Amino acid sequence: MSESEVALGGAGHAAVMEEPAYAVPPKKLTIWLFIISDAVSFGTVLFVYGYLRVGSTNWGTPFKFSSILNGMIMTFVLLTSSLTMLGAVLAAKAGRKSSSVKWMGLTALLGAIFAALHLREWSHMIAEGWRLFQNPTGGSVEFGAAFFSITGLHLLHVTCGVIAIIVVATGFNRGRLTEGHVETTGLYWHFVDLVWMFVFPLMYLMNAAR
Amino acid sequence: MTVMESNREPGMKFYVGVWIGLLIIAGVEVLLTYQGFSTGTLLAVLLILAVCEAGIALMYFMHLKYERSTLFWSLIPVTIFVLLLMDHFWADALRLTRLRVWPF
Repeated sequence: MSESEVALGGAGHAAVMEEPAYAVPPKKLTIWLFIISDAVSFGTVLFVYGYLRVGSTNWGTPFKFSSILNGMIMTFVLLTSSLTMLGAVLAAKAGRKSSSVKWMGLTALLGAIFAALHLREWSHMIAEGWRLFQNPTGGSVEFGAAFFSITGLHLLHVTCGVIAIIVVATGFNRGRLTEGHVETTGLYWHFVDLVWMFVFPLMYLMNAAR
Repeated sequence: MTVMESNREPGMKFYVGVWIGLLIIAGVEVLLTYQGFSTGTLLAVLLILAVCEAGIALMYFMHLKYERSTLFWSLIPVTIFVLLLMDHFWADALRLTRLRVWPF
C-alpha cells in the first residue's frame, strides 16, 4: 500500500474523492470566471453612463434614424455570428472538423463586418466633430467620453474575439487544438454578443433623436 | 456519461428559434424607443428587455441551462449582487465628487 493510500485510510483515491462540483473541464471554468469578471467591468462603465445620462440636464439625443439603422444592422450581424459560433461548437463536438472550421470562419467574417460597421459609425461621428471631450451639438461633453469609451471597450473585445476565433480555427484544423478550445472561444464570443445587448439600447436607443 | 460532459443539448434548429426570439426582442426595443416615453421610463423598459435578452443568451447560447446547476448558482447570483451594489453606491460616489445630491 502506498504512503498516500495509507494516509487516506487504505481506501484509495477513488473511494474518497468527491465528484467535481461543477463537472466542467478546467478551461471552461476558467473562461466562465473571466466572463464574470469582465461582466463586472462592463457593468461598472454602464452604471456610470446610466447615472450620467439620467442625471444630466443637457445630454442631448444626437442619433438620427440612420445611426439607429446602422446599430440594428450591427445587432443582426452580431446575433447571427453567435448562431454561427454555435454551429461551430456543435460541429466540433460531433467530430465534424471541417464543418466546424467553416462555421468559425463565417463567425470571424461576421465579427469583422460588425467591427467595420462600428468604425464607420465612429468615422461619421468624428467627421461631425465628436471627440472624447467635445460635443458639436453644444450639449454635455460627457456624451463623447461615455460613447467612445464604452463602444471602444466593446469593439476591443470584438477584435480580440475575431483574432481568437481565427487562431483557434487554424489550430483546430491542424489538430493542435481540441473541441474544448472551440467551446471556450464560443463562450467568450457569446459574452461579447451579450454585452452588446446592453450597449445597443443604452448607448444608441437612449440617445436616439425622437 | 462522464461527469465532465454537459447535459443533453438541443440541435441547431432549436438555436435558430432562440436567435429569432432575440432578434424580435431587439426589434421591440427599437419600436419602443419611438413611442415617446420619458427618459427614465425608456431606460427602465430597455433595461428589462436587455436583461431578458441576456438571460436567454446566457441560458441557451452559453449553455448554462445544460450545465450543472452548481455552476449557475456559484456564478450568477453573486454577479447580480455585485452589480446591484454598484447600482446602489455609484450614485453616492458621483454625489461626493460633485458635492451635490443626485440627480445633479
